[in-house]
Amino acid sequence: MSLKPMITVVASLLGAASLLSACSTPASPATTKTSSAIQAVGAENEYANVISQIGGRYVQVSAIESNPNTDPHTFEASPSVAREIEAAKLVVQNGLGYDTWASKIEAASPNPERKVIDVQHLLGLPDSTPNPHLWYKPTTMPAVAKAIASDLSQLEPAHAKYFQANDHAFDVSLDPWYQAIARFKAAFPSTPVAVTEPVGDYMLQASGCKILTPFSLQAAIMNGTDPSPQDVTIENNLFRDHSVKVFVYNQQVTDSLTASFLALAKQEKIPVVGVYETMPTPGYTYQSWMLAEVNALYKAVSANQSTTRL
Amino acid sequence: MVDALLRSVFEPGLFSSGPVHTAAIIGGIAAVVSGVVGTFTVMRGQSFAGHALSDVSAAGGSASFLLGISPLLGFVGMAGIAAGGMEMIGVQRARGRDLATGIVLGAGLGLAALLLYFDATFTSTTGAAITVLFGSMFAISSSTIPLVVAFSLVALGMILVVYRPLILSSVSTELAQVRGVRVRLTESIHLLTLALAVALSAMTIGAILSTALLIGPGAAALRVAHRPAWAIFSAALIGLGTTWGGILLAYDSYYWSSDHRGWPVSFFVVSLIFIAYLVSGRVGARSTHRAPKPLAIEEISSSPTQSTRS
Repeated sequence: MSLKPMITVVASLLGAASLLSACSTPASPATTKTSSAIQAVGAENEYANVISQIGGRYVQVSAIESNPNTDPHTFEASPSVAREIEAAKLVVQNGLGYDTWASKIEAASPNPERKVIDVQHLLGLPDSTPNPHLWYKPTTMPAVAKAIASDLSQLEPAHAKYFQANDHAFDVSLDPWYQAIARFKAAFPSTPVAVTEPVGDYMLQASGCKILTPFSLQAAIMNGTDPSPQDVTIENNLFRDHSVKVFVYNQQVTDSLTASFLALAKQEKIPVVGVYETMPTPGYTYQSWMLAEVNALYKAVSANQSTTRL
Repeated sequence: MVDALLRSVFEPGLFSSGPVHTAAIIGGIAAVVSGVVGTFTVMRGQSFAGHALSDVSAAGGSASFLLGISPLLGFVGMAGIAAGGMEMIGVQRARGRDLATGIVLGAGLGLAALLLYFDATFTSTTGAAITVLFGSMFAISSSTIPLVVAFSLVALGMILVVYRPLILSSVSTELAQVRGVRVRLTESIHLLTLALAVALSAMTIGAILSTALLIGPGAAALRVAHRPAWAIFSAALIGLGTTWGGILLAYDSYYWSSDHRGWPVSFFVVSLIFIAYLVSGRVGARSTHRAPKPLAIEEISSSPTQSTRS
């Protein structure tokens, strides 16, 4: 390649990139602004939902990632997202490389008053943790809610009691989900399942399921890299041989390969349960979403019934 | 002993694997078409045009994810449009050719960037970028095979029709004009076959890498073979060998690490092409000592009415 066309290519790529970052869709704030409320941001809408449950009327929360048709793994932050994080007093982010953009914006606009809850660090997980979808783990959100309550209490000590009460109420409200998990685990111990991507793996493991899809295939689909033919064959055979009872399908990370798995599962009459990266809206809270997923799993195994979309 | 060696090269399940079958068929066909067309492209010094066409076809591949059509249709459609565009702004003229090509290439890649962004934002197709740019041979649906066969027959048929005039005009435009060859038409048909060839390779090893499959085998073949027909045949063979070799190595790479993360097949194909080119330089250099003749033009420029040699 000679120099001139090379420069053309690089220049047009740069131009396209800067255009794209300028016009990517901004996240809309969940509620209208009030001057006295604490500005808070949840990098993903499930965390934003928990912040608003704990902070109640004293907090003004916005969620950055809430579009169910977007793959959060490939999210790029826009200037309006940067402004929201810069202005926030409390930020809850997942960590584990899932929302690196949030850390970058925080580093670029230091604010000693801003409190950042990085869920990965809160749970003390190493960077090498392969599955970043921490909110599907039953033990994650109580710890996050507690940290939110404690940070909000420091920001507004006058309402500390209110935040603590909300935290307690939140913990109690998770009980139906825990009971559903226990009920599933007792009724269908060691249920063999196939998945596309590790999004719901923590919840499946908590429910006693055996995930038969090789993790290398899950990682390839999650990261959008080339799958190995051996793994594709293993996955296809899981359906053909009916070695799995359920196919857990990530609605937010799809490609032609996951579509072919979905078609095969349907053809072999294996029930499908759709799972999500971010909380489906409207109509769901974090708790009701998680409960709905376990109930869908129960219906799939007990009545052979698919719940493709929540 | 031989048996054990064979078994370590051809790992278990290779020949019964569905994804390997599909990759071998589609990859093989694309390699043969690219080898045949690419030999002309190298002879004509239009490697950069070939590269540009394949890069622009990336926009079509990206669009196919949005439209929900077969990626091959997207690649072929966009490469065809780009070929038309290049023809219009005068890519066949030697002067300013690189510039015209570079401008089309830049615009096409910019469009691909936008469409890939839409893919990630609105259709949650995570793997789109890697699949379009670097290929995902083992994730191609076997339902694409008839389409691949049809397009390759069209491309090879067109080459067959213009075979002699094309070789003549590739060696010397002036000579071809003297002989009454409709140079412009011949060149346009070559550009069209070029578009088809890169679109087929873009399907297998990706839009960015398909240049390697287009010009690598052709360039290597022209270093060892001294007759056009031999060069074309060798190029097809080198393309086929490197593609199947790449599939074999990618399949084997699954067993190289304990976490079963096989390496991408495109890497192996392109590396083998590179090695083939290096080897052809050595072989070609040795054979030139014996027969210091570049391309045997007298073979083609001869017509029945003329004596072959004075």
